[in-house]
Amino acid sequence: MAPLSDDTTTQDAPGADAPAALPGDGLREGIIDNLRSHIGDAIVDTKITPNDDLWIRVSTEAWLSTGQALKDAGFTYFCFLSGLDWMPSPYGTSEEDPDDEPKEPDTEIVQGYTGGETRFQVFARLADLDRHVGVTIKADVPDDRLVMESWSHLFAGANWHERECHEMYGIGFDNHPDLRNMYLPGDFEGYPLRKDFPLLARMVKPWPGIVDVEPMPAEDEAEAPVEEKGDES
Amino acid sequence: MGLVDKGRLPAPLTKLFNMSRSYSLWVYQWGLACCAIEMGAAFGSPRYDVMRLGVIPLPASPRQADFVCVSGTVTDKMAPAVKRLWEQMPEPKYAISMGSCANCGGPYWDSYSVTKGVDQIIPIDVYVPGCPPRPEALLEGIVLLQQRIKNEDMAAKWRGDEFTTLQRTRAMEAGEVDRDGELINEPTEPTPEMAQAADSVQPEPIVVGGGPIE
Amino acid sequence: MTLTDRQQLSYIASQAADARLNVELETEGMTLNIGPQHPATHGTLRIICRLDGEQVVWAEPVAGYMHRGYEKLTEVRTFPQVTTLVNRIDWLGSFANEVPFILAAEKLMEIEAPPRAQVIRTILFELSRIANVSLFLGDLGVQMGAITPVFLAFRDREYILNLIEGATGGRFHPNFDRIGGLKDDLPKGWIEETRGAVKKLEQFCDTIDDLLFGNEIFQSRMRGIGIIPADIAKDYGLSGANARASGIDWDLRRDQDIPLSYDLADWKVWTHPDGDSWARCWIRLQETRESCKIVTQLLDQIPAGPVMTKVPRIIKVPEGEAWVSTENPLGEMGYYVVSKGGLGPFRVKIRSASFNNISIVPWALKGVYVPDVITILASLYFILGDIDR
Repeated sequence: MAPLSDDTTTQDAPGADAPAALPGDGLREGIIDNLRSHIGDAIVDTKITPNDDLWIRVSTEAWLSTGQALKDAGFTYFCFLSGLDWMPSPYGTSEEDPDDEPKEPDTEIVQGYTGGETRFQVFARLADLDRHVGVTIKADVPDDRLVMESWSHLFAGANWHERECHEMYGIGFDNHPDLRNMYLPGDFEGYPLRKDFPLLARMVKPWPGIVDVEPMPAEDEAEAPVEEKGDES
Repeated sequence: MGLVDKGRLPAPLTKLFNMSRSYSLWVYQWGLACCAIEMGAAFGSPRYDVMRLGVIPLPASPRQADFVCVSGTVTDKMAPAVKRLWEQMPEPKYAISMGSCANCGGPYWDSYSVTKGVDQIIPIDVYVPGCPPRPEALLEGIVLLQQRIKNEDMAAKWRGDEFTTLQRTRAMEAGEVDRDGELINEPTEPTPEMAQAADSVQPEPIVVGGGPIE
Repeated sequence: MTLTDRQQLSYIASQAADARLNVELETEGMTLNIGPQHPATHGTLRIICRLDGEQVVWAEPVAGYMHRGYEKLTEVRTFPQVTTLVNRIDWLGSFANEVPFILAAEKLMEIEAPPRAQVIRTILFELSRIANVSLFLGDLGVQMGAITPVFLAFRDREYILNLIEGATGGRFHPNFDRIGGLKDDLPKGWIEETRGAVKKLEQFCDTIDDLLFGNEIFQSRMRGIGIIPADIAKDYGLSGANARASGIDWDLRRDQDIPLSYDLADWKVWTHPDGDSWARCWIRLQETRESCKIVTQLLDQIPAGPVMTKVPRIIKVPEGEAWVSTENPLGEMGYYVVSKGGLGPFRVKIRSASFNNISIVPWALKGVYVPDVITILASLYFILGDIDR
């Protein structure tokens, strides 16, 4: 039986155990090369923001093997997994003044970093706690069949994240042990985080739009607009 | 209490019972979200002590509670539980809605999963606005509830009327107001003399809780 | 991982419990429903436990009773409006929620807040951590029936809330961070008051140490219970004090390069090799003391200068994606902000710490006795707004 430690366990000052240098782009490129040696040309696109972060997009079929390869390479910390819907919202973003002329709605699907070909993507983030580096992995979800392989046997924490992604976007996960609703009541219809799911309260009463830059009280009373209702002076 | 529901309780006894009821409230804390922390600060911290008002927190169960303080966002998933809680409480019961989420949905007014105000589920007596309201604001809400209880006609509450103030009951007995609260005699058009007389009279102070407490 | 006596016993017992349920002799287990309204669940979490006698055979948390749809709401709000909304995720340490979001927006805009703003942000961040964890420490007692510590916690928390209110105007939900800096500078006399308040909080930590952590009952209820080994912790994504209690030496304040001023102070990262409930609670106590030290040191080092860089009146964040995560009181909280150049974000993924912390509950509660369910949940420490967003 291992004796439980007493309270005197401490850790040294930051200088002693902190990484010698924070991860640089060389380390990130090494990660990409390591991954490429495992899954070859399933890596579709990568992006490194200098001194900052790393994005890798892989093909849909390689989603699970990417996770396995990264876990073997030391990325054992599971941060999160979720989905992205790149279609611009047909209901607008409440930035426009509802009294203005309605503009032509923008329907072009433009993906973000590392591109993409489909409306939906899944993305996940893993971290290597020893080298203090993280990586964001994205993959397209095919438009005709919204199903991806499940990571829940690889990272136990992915179980709940995939449940949430399923109920919010409608993306299925193969081999997931228990894919039911995480947050929403059982009789909820629709997939809320999709862009074409309307927020009904906003459709009934639209938000007044762009922030109203009223003058401060001391500033310009002379320029204050004439109010129709009430005549406070 | 046969006298209470028949409405034949003498006035001094009504005043005594109302006063003692209002100073011995047992509040059920239905703390859901951030407002629960301010409610906890109001009820459980030594600074904004609620017990000095005669209100005791932490009843053993909702069946022993006098009023419920709903604080925090009510979601559609939680709404049946709130309803069941309200049904469990025995009469006479009151409800305070604390915070803007419970009043009207609050910052989440446009969400797909939030009930826009707990008054869609249970009838509320006092609304305390704020996000979150300061503990003093909640205490003021409780004081308003106490004024309301002091001013209450227990027979009307027993019957389950919507308006239970003593003023309403007296107006009904005097024949000015009918059961639904509609004035029986149409008010006449104000003549200039009446307007002048009205101007010279001091305006009645606004008294929260329905009228002068007698 | 070697198993302690207790762990071995509960493992054997859970095997036996499974076996018993399968045997010809039909014994019926009981389903115990804890919550969603329960004093011990820190909010509206519902845990369904299937019991065999006093032991849990299968447990499952049902979240969603506080799901307010944050990620959908952020798509129809501007960046300052999202800042207001995001305060309310972890509602005890509210300022800490704004910081990673603002940092992500600043990363996309490629601006940095001035040094004075960075130091004040760090101070307020640590103050909100102290406010959050001091309530946790008080609540620990309530989970076990000791009610006094929570009154002490509320009383001492008031000092911190007064400070936050003095600087920002709101006791919690300060909504003080802005893209490019802070809304306002500190009021006069705030620094001296903070020094005094932090001393009172240090006394509170000592009181709790004496009252709770030195208590024999507390020790016997917490030691050896709910052991989570390090590899399981990483698999589930446990972060913050939960991970450090399992021996993982990882603290986002030290291990990443973000524009907060932690390197100006001398502080240490506490870890514990055991991974049991006691370790998680003890680490949080030490971290509160450490935060008090950080605040005291940073108060002496606030540089002069503006608190806001020059940003346009109406801010449009350029296109791009950014991920920023910080060491929040509950763990690692991060925001993945996708912007398409508008007034508001296109998509915000909120990675909240408690979601991952609670996903381990089905694993952690197997074979555990019913009273230990409460203490394990207490030691994992979650806030419902963080789980449900």
